Amino acid sequence: MMEGRFKRDIASLDAIFDFVAEFLAQQEIPPDNSFYANLVIEELFTNMVKYSKDGIQDIAIRLDRDGQRLVISLMDFNVEAFDITQSREVDVDRPMSERKAGGLGIHFVKQVADSVHYEYKDRNSTITVTKRIES
Amino acid sequence: MLDIQVSDQGTIRLVGRFDASQADMAQTTFRAIRQSAVADFAQLDYISSAGIAIIVETYKRLTDAGHSFKLINLNPRIRTVFGYAGLDKVMQID
Repeated sequence: MMEGRFKRDIASLDAIFDFVAEFLAQQEIPPDNSFYANLVIEELFTNMVKYSKDGIQDIAIRLDRDGQRLVISLMDFNVEAFDITQSREVDVDRPMSERKAGGLGIHFVKQVADSVHYEYKDRNSTITVTKRIES
Repeated sequence: MLDIQVSDQGTIRLVGRFDASQADMAQTTFRAIRQSAVADFAQLDYISSAGIAIIVETYKRLTDAGHSFKLINLNPRIRTVFGYAGLDKVMQID
């Protein structure tokens, strides 16, 4: 297991991607798995930075391995609840004329993940995503 | 890091990683494009919803103005992400 804390700033993404690469190397997980891991983490992290306006603490990211599954958790401390599992589904069949740029991040997380779990306790939000490791 | 090279012929070459930290820079570059264009993804390793939002915005702006905007050479994972959004059905992707 590896855990890191990252300043709630979009500029933290480079350090986060390095953190993911380090974990994959440590676990001898093929580096191609970084694509979807980075996508999940970026979308969740940027969502917390943008929408948890009352959050001031660093965001914690924990990476773990459970057999052939990657377990990704993000923890946002002392914030209002925001349960992404309850977010509205995106209509992917809409024509271009009815689409707006943006609003796809959580949809991507749900598409990539094998499971998404949300917990809110003592004003702390924890999102845990699992993703099968590709060999 | 993301590098964007725009040629006089309207080819936009994307190199590196198109993530949220690059969005402001990328948006400025894409908004300056005012003619039919081709975005070449051959050297793009990664894209998130932040990058795709800029691609969609550019696509709508150019096609609404009567121009074309085509995406080429997407790697399989990036193509899959466009598919997650159903964009492969409504955009010109070769």
